[in-house]
Formats: sequence, C-alpha cells, structure tokens
Amino acid sequence: MLNDHLLSLVTLGPAAFALLLALLPARHPRVHRWSALLASLVVFALSCLIWVRFDPNHPGFQLEPPRVDWIPQFGISYHLGVDGISLLLVLLTTLLIPIVILASWTSIDEHVKGFHICLLLLTTGMIGAFVALDLFLFYVFWELMLIPMYFIIGVWGGQRRIYAAVKFVLFTMVGSLLMLVAILYLGWFHHQQTGVWSYGYLDFTSSAPLLEMAGLWSPQALVFLAFGLAFAIKVPMFPFHTWLPDAHVEAPTGGSIILAGVLLKLGTYGFLRFNRALLPDAWDFFVPAILVLAVIGILYGAWVALVQPDIKKLVAYSSVSHLGFVMLGLAAGTVASTQGAILQMVNHGLSTGALFLLVGVIYERRHTRLIAEYGGIAGVVPVYTGVFLLVTLSSIGLPGLNGFVGEFLILAGAWSGHPWAVVGAGLGIIFGAVYMLWMFQRVFWNPLDNEENKDLRDMNPRELLAMVPILVLIVWIGVYPTTFLAPMEAAVRALLVP
Amino acid sequence: MPTHNDLIAVAPEIILTVAAGVLLLIEAFLPRVRRYASELSALVVLTAAYARIRLDLPGDVWGGMLHIDRVASFVDLYILAAVFLSVWMAGAFLRRSDADHGEFYSLLLLAAVGAMVMASSVDALTLFLGLELLSIPLYALNAFLRRVPISVEAGLKYFIVGAFASAFLVYGFALLYGEAATTNLVTMGARVVEAGGLSPLAAIGVAMVIGGLAFKLALFPVHGWAPDVYQGGPTPVTAFLSVVPKGAALVALLRIVDGMDLLRLSHEWVVAASVVAVASMTLGNVVAIVQRDIKRMLAYSGIAHMGYAMLAIIVAGAEGGAAVLVYLAAYTLMNIGAFAAVALFSESESEPHPISDLAGQGWRRPIVALALTICLFSLAGVPPFFGFTGKFVVFRAAVNGGFVWLAVIGVANSLISAFYYLRVVYVMYMQPEPRRAPAFGRAFSISWVAALSAVGVVVLGLFPTPVLTAAQAAILNLVR
Repeated sequence: MLNDHLLSLVTLGPAAFALLLALLPARHPRVHRWSALLASLVVFALSCLIWVRFDPNHPGFQLEPPRVDWIPQFGISYHLGVDGISLLLVLLTTLLIPIVILASWTSIDEHVKGFHICLLLLTTGMIGAFVALDLFLFYVFWELMLIPMYFIIGVWGGQRRIYAAVKFVLFTMVGSLLMLVAILYLGWFHHQQTGVWSYGYLDFTSSAPLLEMAGLWSPQALVFLAFGLAFAIKVPMFPFHTWLPDAHVEAPTGGSIILAGVLLKLGTYGFLRFNRALLPDAWDFFVPAILVLAVIGILYGAWVALVQPDIKKLVAYSSVSHLGFVMLGLAAGTVASTQGAILQMVNHGLSTGALFLLVGVIYERRHTRLIAEYGGIAGVVPVYTGVFLLVTLSSIGLPGLNGFVGEFLILAGAWSGHPWAVVGAGLGIIFGAVYMLWMFQRVFWNPLDNEENKDLRDMNPRELLAMVPILVLIVWIGVYPTTFLAPMEAAVRALLVP
Repeated sequence: MPTHNDLIAVAPEIILTVAAGVLLLIEAFLPRVRRYASELSALVVLTAAYARIRLDLPGDVWGGMLHIDRVASFVDLYILAAVFLSVWMAGAFLRRSDADHGEFYSLLLLAAVGAMVMASSVDALTLFLGLELLSIPLYALNAFLRRVPISVEAGLKYFIVGAFASAFLVYGFALLYGEAATTNLVTMGARVVEAGGLSPLAAIGVAMVIGGLAFKLALFPVHGWAPDVYQGGPTPVTAFLSVVPKGAALVALLRIVDGMDLLRLSHEWVVAASVVAVASMTLGNVVAIVQRDIKRMLAYSGIAHMGYAMLAIIVAGAEGGAAVLVYLAAYTLMNIGAFAAVALFSESESEPHPISDLAGQGWRRPIVALALTICLFSLAGVPPFFGFTGKFVVFRAAVNGGFVWLAVIGVANSLISAFYYLRVVYVMYMQPEPRRAPAFGRAFSISWVAALSAVGVVVLGLFPTPVLTAAQAAILNLVR
C-alpha cells in the first residue's frame, strides 16, 4: 500500500503542503518557517523510505504508483517511477530542501510565507521532473520549476535580481519550448509506428530510436538538438552558461543552493534519461561535440572563476567547470564514467550547495562577498574556517572526500575512449585546485587587516546544523562510495548495454 | 411557420432576448429593482446556459438557417460563461464609473445573442444577421462611458471598422452567391468543390468573407483597431469584446474553411493563412513588449493569440477544430480573469492603465494579484495552467498535421510573449510600492470574477479532460 503511493507522496506532498501554507495567515513568519521545515523533513524521511524499499538489483523503474489516465484522449497518463539513476537525485533534492530552509531562517525576513510556498512548489517540480515517466508530465514538472524560481530570484534576490530573474526564465524557456515541439513530434512518430497515442517514456524507448538518423538535418538529430538545447542551457554547457552567474549571484542563499544543487542536475539528468536513452544514434553522432563543449566548459569555467573578485561568483563559475566533468562522464559512455557522472552530480550538489550556504553565512554578517574585504579571518571564526576548508577540499577532489571518487571514475572511464579529453579535464582539476585554494588563502589566511572582520561571529548552531548532513555525506561518499554506487549500477548497465 | 422544434432549439437565445427587453422595462419603471440589474442578468445567463445544456441539439432548424449542433452548443456555453463573468463584474464597475444604466445589460445580452446566432449559423444570411446583432450593441457599449473621451473614441473606431468588416463579409457572400446560387454555406461549399476548385470569382468571395471575419478577430493586417478600442472601452466590455466576437468569428471561419475543405482545395489559402497567422503572432507579441498601458498590452497579446488560433484553423479537420475550441475556452477564461484584475487595478476609467501603477500590488492585494499572475502565466502558456493546454493542443495539431515549422514559430512566439507577461508580474511583486501609490478601490464582485477565472485556469489546466472530450465530441458534428 505504502509502496504504491510513496513516490506520489514525495512528489506531490510538497505542493499540497504549499497550498496549506497559503491558507495560513502571513502575519506569523515563525509558523511558516517551522511548518515548512517540518514538511520538508517529512518528505526527506519518506524519500529515505524510498531508498530502503528500493531493490538495487532491479534495473528498471520501481515503486511506480498505479498509473492513472490523465488526458486519455492523447494517451497521457500520470506515471511515476524511480530507478537507480534518479534515486540519488531525488534523495539529494529532499536532503537539500530542509537545509535551504535552515539557511534562509534569518536571511529571508520579508514575505516569509511566499518564500516557503515557492520553495515547496519548486520541490514538487524538481522531484517530479526526476521521476516522471510520461513526457508530458515531465514537461509540466519541468516548467513548474520556472515560476517559483523566478519569484525566489526576483523577490528575495540581490541588487540586479529582476534582470537575473527574467534572464533565467527566458533562457530556460528558449530550451524548453523547443523541447515541447520535440515531445509532440515523438508522440506523433510513436503514433505512426504503432497506431497508439502515447507520450509515455517507456513507449518512447521502443519507438524513438527508430527515428531516421542520417546527418544533422534528419529527424533524430533535430529532436536530439531540441532536447539537447533545453538541457544544455540548464546544465549549463558552454556557451549557454551566461544566465548562470547572474542567477546564482543574485539569488538569495537558499535559491543559489537549489539552483546549483538540483536545478543544474536536471540538465545532465535529462541528457542521460532522454538524449542518451531515447536517441542513441544521434547521441553517437553528437558525442564529439559534447566532449569538446564539456572540456571547454571545464577549462573556461575554471579560468573565469580564477579572476572573480566575488566569492559567490567564483563558486558560480566553478559550477560551469564541475558540470563539464559530468557531461564528460556522460559523453564517454562507459559504465564507470556514467556512474562517476551521476555520483558527481550528487557531489556537486553537496559541495557547491555547501559553498553557497557558507558564502551566505558570511554575507549575512558582513554584507559583502568581495574576497578583498576579507583576509586572515581563520583565527576569528575557527569553526567556519574548518567547515569551509573541508568543503573546499571536497570541491577540488581531495582523495578521501567525495569529489575525488566522482572525478576519478569519470576520468578513468573516459580514458580508454577519449584520452585527449581526459588530459584537458585533468588540467581543469589543477585549475580547480588553484582557484579554490587561492580564494581560501585570500579569505582565511593572509594578514587580518580589515577592522570590521575582527569581531565576526562564528557559525551559530542553526547554521552548523544545516551543514552537518552535507559534511557527513562528503566524507561518507569519499570513504565508502559503494553505498551510493551500488543502487545505480544495474540501471546504468541496462541503459548503456541494451 | 416555425415549428415547436425550431423554438425549443433557440430557447437560450429567446431567454436572453426577452430578458434584454425586460431589463429595459425595469430600468424605466422599477427604479428599486434596477439596482440588481447585474445580478439579474447573471441569473438570466445561467438560466440560458442551463437551457442549452438540457435541451436537445436537433441539428438543422429554421429551415436550415441555423444548425444547432454540439459545436454551436460548446461555443454557446463558452459565450454564456464570458457574458456571465462580464455582467458580474459590470455592476460594481458601472457604479464606480457613475454610469449605472440598465441598458448596459440589455445591450450585452443582445450582443451575446448575436454571437450565439453567428456560431450556429450555416447560412450566409443568418451569419450576417448574427454578426450585426453582435456588433451594433458593442458600438454602443464601447462608447458607454459617454463623458470619457477615449470611450467615445473607442466606440466610434469600433463602429467604423465594424462597418468595413460587415461590408467585406456581405460583398464576399454576394460574390459567392453569384457563383453557387445558394446562401447555405454547406451547399455553397459543396458546389465550389464540385466545380473542381475555386474560380477566380469564388476565390475573391472567400477571401472577402474571411477578411471580414479577420476584422473581428483582429488578425494582421486588419488588427489596427484593437489597441485603441481595448484601451478606451469600459473594462467589462473590453473583456467581453476580447473573447466573444472572436469565438463566434473563429467558429464561423472554421465552418467555412472546413465546409470548403480549403486545406486541400487551395494551396494559396494555406500560404496566405500561414502568413497571417505568423504575422499576427509576431507583430502582436513584439509590439506588446513596448506597451506601457496594460489594456493596450492585452490588446496586442490578443492579436497574437488569434494568430495561435489560426494555426489550428489552418490544420482544420477533427484535430484542428477541436484545438480551436479548446483554445477558445482557455483564452476566454484567462483573458476575462486578466481584465477583471485590470478593472480592479485602476482608479478611474478616464485615466490610462499604466503597468507601472501596479508596483507593489502583489503584496498589498495578494488575491487579485495572484489571480492576475495566474492568468498572465497561463496566457504565456506555462504549465500547469489552462493556457498551456490550449497551446499544447494547437501545437500538437500543427505537428500532427505536418506543420512542424508553424509549431516552432508558435513556440518561439510564446517565448517573446513570456517577456511582457512576466514584466507585469515583476512590477507587481518585485518593485516596491511607490510612496504615492494609487488608491485602487475594492469591489467584491470584480474580485470574485478574477479569482473564479484564475481557479478555473488552474483546475482546467490540471484536469483538461472534460473540455477536451467535449471539444472532440463537438467537432465530430462539424467535420464532414
């Protein structure tokens, strides 16, 4: 019974709770904070239950709620399912939401009710996009993320928030609308092939690969490009990344954590779930291009991060670089590199989410994120320094921490097929270490010469509480990644070796 | 002599017409009842809708002048929904504008009868009759605030353009009558098809008829009246005007295009209609971006939306036809909701409605602002709102009909439109309320209309099946 509805609860629960929250009066922000936190913890607990009930040896979709006809005229149904690929991403999402609420506890002090409603709606959109098994449903969830994120950036963001919010929406819509045409086309093609109207993912896995693939202007390649553009913007791959620094920097801390932690993963997840699985011939055709763009992204993101004067912007550009690794792992297409890529999605969500959280902590105290404003604060805020150091090391891939495992699997898996890409990416790791450590040095070491920094407060228990789960996972994945690699292995194998 | 059957078939129209007369009498002789004219008309509209739902749909009545089928019934119901929402918000609006005269409701109900006749007519004569009955009350309604110069200007403009449109339509029908020797549209279509294609004379006739309808739809290149009329007319009238004549005209267009099977008969039609559709979408959306007045912005957005609807008209057939009906339903609901919110967010009708006035209203008037936000996102075609369903069925019809490129242009236009719809949203929520914020009145009934439309947009967006089923069943009656 519970198995039947577990996934629906986790997916739709947050939206239902957002409606409840909407009915509460806006006068008591504490009520909204606490109840949203409680709801997100319940959702997290339920998603852990998904993990417990999940059978790692079964490659297909599991825990599917009973399929409900939604728009039977078009063969559209409400159909969810989780497999090894989406499992970890769902868990990452549900883990980050309570952390975001904690991180926004004091920094969001206006329109608190609205913020938490947006956040919970966003949660439904994100989880739904990961588990939807009907492309129409997927599209609805995908777009559902847009409006709450628009508000989160635009209402609670920084100085140039409106510019950033509009840019975010327009960039995302450019991709997603063409994806809609591609989905419609796939539905039409499925009807041509089978005589049945459907937008079901499992139906498309048999029909979509039959699309004609002969060069760039053939149907399969065009459908691939339509999906690919939507996901490439979301990832973001070079050269579609220009919305990211604006959105990340202008968003409030919580928004940045969600953006970096989950939203970007939807792009890489989409590549794997749709482009790779549904359009294998076009995928082979485009792999070289993806590899090139991935390596450019790795190096370009790192170089630009190196010269940023603003910590948050530096972290934002580092995302471009890290997501390049994920794309490299997916494009290389071996089991190891793909597993590494999925793990790296989680790693990036954890470490970059943590970095944004930490930047938010210090920003709340000093209202500046400029590296030059700091220096030598290690002695003033020892706990903060320690946490920041651990996250930094995780981000640059120190062995024993999570980043290393992901990057190693990606590079090792890609070596046999694409050694030049691995060399390029290896350089990126070095640059990554340079910009992160250099930033760390300028902020925490160096002489303490700014008077205002002398009485910085260290992290308070709430902020620490938000960090602890991330720190535990950073070490856990680094030391014993099997816990996380095992559930995805069967699904990845089934996807890559049909 | 009309038979019993004929009278029953048009019972909803009769109810509305009688009510229109009674309202005039009330206005003159029962000053105490006239305060409730808005509520009374709303009740009448509900009765008419109930009659439409419960009564049989006999098909050809009045000797083949009207064809009461499921299409007619679908469109009637949507017209009645639009009228219901319009009259409901009109009460508070007219009191506020100091123009509380019962004639308003009579005229509105008569216009609705015209639209309903138009939607069910399969004869050139009744089509024209319906068009005139729809248009003439609207000329007066647009100029209803006679002390407000732009309202009078709107009425005059609409009159002149409307006269042109009628002339086009009549002239086109005259040419077609000369060719086919019948005023019945079905027979006319059949004879044209029998003749093996459109003769030059018939082609001109068809073009003029479609041109006349295009005026009502405000399609490119005959869209110029829309912004001025929308801006000047009383907002409840604008809400009505922006959906009802368009619905009636689209259905008439659908009957003609489908009756003559223009898709297969004439390549020129496809080309011309594609150009009109693309130009309407693009022009409407691009020009809407630079509008400062929200009513003008919605006027240009309306031009663009009729461009989307044209996509489905081009595809025609069962799929295109159903898409037109669904799109109409979605467009009606979200547009009326948006105009209701606009009516609330305005100080007086003689002033323009600048978007910048809405700054900060998102937090001051959360319910109305949320309703407007939902309607605008829906107009932009963002799921899970009803407007997305409308766009989905239209683009789906285009893709399935082999017009993938039109669907691509359509989605590109959705993107452009998102820009200006979002601007209103960010002004409401993300710009601080100015120190001297305009004092917007509160009107319970108008708020209700906005909220009800927004709820409808959400609920039908999540569960569109009933509307889709109704539209698909309806269209089977129409397609040959």
